[in-house]
Amino acid sequence: MTAVADAKHLEGAGFRARIQRGGGYLAGMIMPNIAAFIAWGLITAMFIPTGWIPNERLAELVGPIITVLLPVLIGYTGGRLVHGQRGAVVGAVATMGVVVGTDIPMFLGAMLIGPATAYVLKLIDGFIQDKVKVGFEMLVDNFTAGILGVLAALAGLLGIGPVVEGLTKAAGNGVDFLVDTGFLPLVSLLVEPAKVLFLNNAINFGVLSPLGVAEATETGKSVLFMVETNPGPGLGILLAYFFFGPRLLRLSAPGAIVIHFLGGIHEIYFPYVLMKPKLILAAIAGGAAGVGTAVVTGAGLVSTPSPGSIFAYAAVTPRGGFIPVILSILVATAVSFAVASLLLGFGRGEKAEEAPPVHEDAVPVQASSATAETTAPTHAPAMRNTTAEA
Amino acid sequence: MPTIAGASVTKVVIACDAGMGSSVMLASQMRKRLKKYDVAVEHVAVNAIPADAQVVLCHSGLAQRARGTAPDAVVVPFQIFMGDPVFDQVEAAIRDGGTLDG
Repeated sequence: MTAVADAKHLEGAGFRARIQRGGGYLAGMIMPNIAAFIAWGLITAMFIPTGWIPNERLAELVGPIITVLLPVLIGYTGGRLVHGQRGAVVGAVATMGVVVGTDIPMFLGAMLIGPATAYVLKLIDGFIQDKVKVGFEMLVDNFTAGILGVLAALAGLLGIGPVVEGLTKAAGNGVDFLVDTGFLPLVSLLVEPAKVLFLNNAINFGVLSPLGVAEATETGKSVLFMVETNPGPGLGILLAYFFFGPRLLRLSAPGAIVIHFLGGIHEIYFPYVLMKPKLILAAIAGGAAGVGTAVVTGAGLVSTPSPGSIFAYAAVTPRGGFIPVILSILVATAVSFAVASLLLGFGRGEKAEEAPPVHEDAVPVQASSATAETTAPTHAPAMRNTTAEA
Repeated sequence: MPTIAGASVTKVVIACDAGMGSSVMLASQMRKRLKKYDVAVEHVAVNAIPADAQVVLCHSGLAQRARGTAPDAVVVPFQIFMGDPVFDQVEAAIRDGGTLDG
């Protein structure tokens, strides 16, 4: 709660709220269905030929779930966001149009056609609402939605599907290029700042996961699942706060570490960055180091680890893939911790930075006690600890 | 800016981006604290705050979206997820009948 003024300038501007809102819709189509992604990830990790207990019969589940069930769920949920249950139903029907006859997971297509079809139905419903004769409501409701579903599915199959398939493949090629040329770690330059601005779900579920799934269906794993979800950068920052942060926040760090690293709720560390925005450099460095390690060691996950907890990571790590994955997390943590510690001045200069709190919401009594506490001579023991650790 | 008297609060809505992560965590904490005052606590996605919400708690980074979704609600932003004084303020206002400002 110190230096909250620093965070203020990151707020404001309707632009950011609009981006968040748009991203929120993307994530909102996928996140309610994460359990299905997990189910698919576990089935894949277990039963495919390179899995833990290969089984040809049971592995038959893998293809249909990823190419049909997951996109239809996304289209359904996208439709529901726009126009309730009726929107959900036409969204699902329309999504069938884009998934039939393709062998890639049509997440992008589903995210487009599901809500779009629901929106059309919303317009139709609004238009005919007052024109239906008494007693014919059910008939009209069912057939407008049914016929719209037919048209949307046909449009999806013949028009939108092939276009989106091309786009998805082009995006996949772009990712391959980034991986092959070693530029993938640079993605952290965008991902980490966007993350702490609460675009984490939008980026992971709206962009990276759909691309990752496309790759994972071909090769059995994808590094893209690890770009945003790596708990290392956040863990490094929280550790740095624990050792070198302002005293009040130092006390909250262990609890935050448990929630972040074990519980997978990354939001918990965003405020620690927003309070000292320069720490975003630590997140970027840690993120890039983690991605770089993953690319070099060939790390990858079979599905998206959600939430980004170490336990979720373990569940979606392919057989034989533990060492590269764990290494990626460790390197990200170490780099982020080192940079964050440096930026926090290893606990020195803390006193100078403790400007009088100007947070309008803060209780004055607490604020002053915070300032008082931070002036206490407490840095020396903590410093010794970390030097030993480093 | 909407305001509300703590005594008339019957439900507190906690919002986060997806309505599945941090808001659930905070809701379970606040539910325990506000139960004795007969105040219900719910968690939602910030895009889906019900229009009749009275009090919305969310991170300051999402406050603008929350105000857009529920313009009539008192949106109380907080800075950190654990031990933010705002949580104590909300509880105090409900307990002692103070006023909450948006």
